[in-house]
Amino acid sequence: MAHAAQVGLQDATSPIMEELITFHDHALMIIFLISFLVLYALFLTLTTKLTNTNISDAQEMETVWTILPAIILVLIALPSLRILYMTDEVNDPSLTIKSIGHQWYWTYEYTDYGGLIFNSYMLPPLFLEPGDLRLLDVDNRVVLPIEAPIRMMITSQDVLHSWAVPTLGLKTDAIPGRLNQTTFTATRPGVYYGQCSEICGANHSFMPIVLELIPLKIFEMGPVFTL
Amino acid sequence: MLATRVFSLVGKRAISTSVCVRAHESVVKSEDFSLPAYMDRRDHPLPEVAHVKHLSASQKALKEKEKASWSSLSMDEKVELYRIKFKESFAEMNRGSNEWKTVVGGAMFFIGFTALVIMWQKHYVLPHNLSHTVVYGPLPQSFDKEWVAKQTKRMLDMKVNPIQGLASKWDYEKNEWKK
Repeated sequence: MAHAAQVGLQDATSPIMEELITFHDHALMIIFLISFLVLYALFLTLTTKLTNTNISDAQEMETVWTILPAIILVLIALPSLRILYMTDEVNDPSLTIKSIGHQWYWTYEYTDYGGLIFNSYMLPPLFLEPGDLRLLDVDNRVVLPIEAPIRMMITSQDVLHSWAVPTLGLKTDAIPGRLNQTTFTATRPGVYYGQCSEICGANHSFMPIVLELIPLKIFEMGPVFTL
Repeated sequence: MLATRVFSLVGKRAISTSVCVRAHESVVKSEDFSLPAYMDRRDHPLPEVAHVKHLSASQKALKEKEKASWSSLSMDEKVELYRIKFKESFAEMNRGSNEWKTVVGGAMFFIGFTALVIMWQKHYVLPHNLSHTVVYGPLPQSFDKEWVAKQTKRMLDMKVNPIQGLASKWDYEKNEWKK
């Protein structure tokens, strides 16, 4: 989860998110360099004493400032596509969970080895204990094992929602009448928070997602509900 | 009056032509953009016409003297010839002004005014436990100091962002924030 007034990305909990953080650093550095260059050029334009207004025909410079941006774009596109294809790699998930968006809560279905279906509502303010995370904590978390590829099938029962968990690098739209799939592997145990990321009505800000990642041995023991 | 003098400084007919003309009636005549005009511009160093159009008798005599050898001209005569041709020297036309002080002062004034508005808002608009008018209602209980302390402790127990974020700044052995 983010701390108050956090601006940067949350620490990664999956390998894909680690790649995304590195890519973000790379792209941001390019953005900073270009912006600084433009700012410098603007500064020079505003403070020059030169007054020649008859400059024309700068073919060499025109060629450079066409080729160079094309190269920069390739340098951004290649890592980006690499990560994009990485997310679609065949990884044989161990577990499939269905996540169904409603107004204004999520339903989770664990139907691989039985039939566990439950709703996950945000804890209303009056139900919070001191120290709980307002607007983030839910009554029933999604309990999952670490270090196992997990497939999420995401859909909606009414309007558009979006199932997002930033620390895992996940955001997938929940579209009525459509099944969207995303996969992830968590590297660390812990409790990870996300919030509905597609406007869906009055309580769009109040239907968070909470994942509880636990070691496989404990997950196998059976108790999946946490209060 | 002041507007007229301001416009005369601009010297170009971009703003109210008749106003600029009124300020310079003795030396400026034409009002048509298609006719050659005088301008003091750093990037147009040789104006299309001379500054003084109608020479007085002494000026006419000086122009005659200019046709002879220039070494016979005194310094004052050279300056007089220059001033016939040009209104302002480069040093004069490029001089700075004190406008920046007005701009900076005005900006700081309005920033200060905004600060006053924010102070008013914090007092009357933002929620607190006192009894004056409050527009937004009380802050949620999760902003209380004890709640934030318990919440932070819980986030550290959960090891939130342990790599570069919150939990990475906590020393778990000594049970204190890292120095």
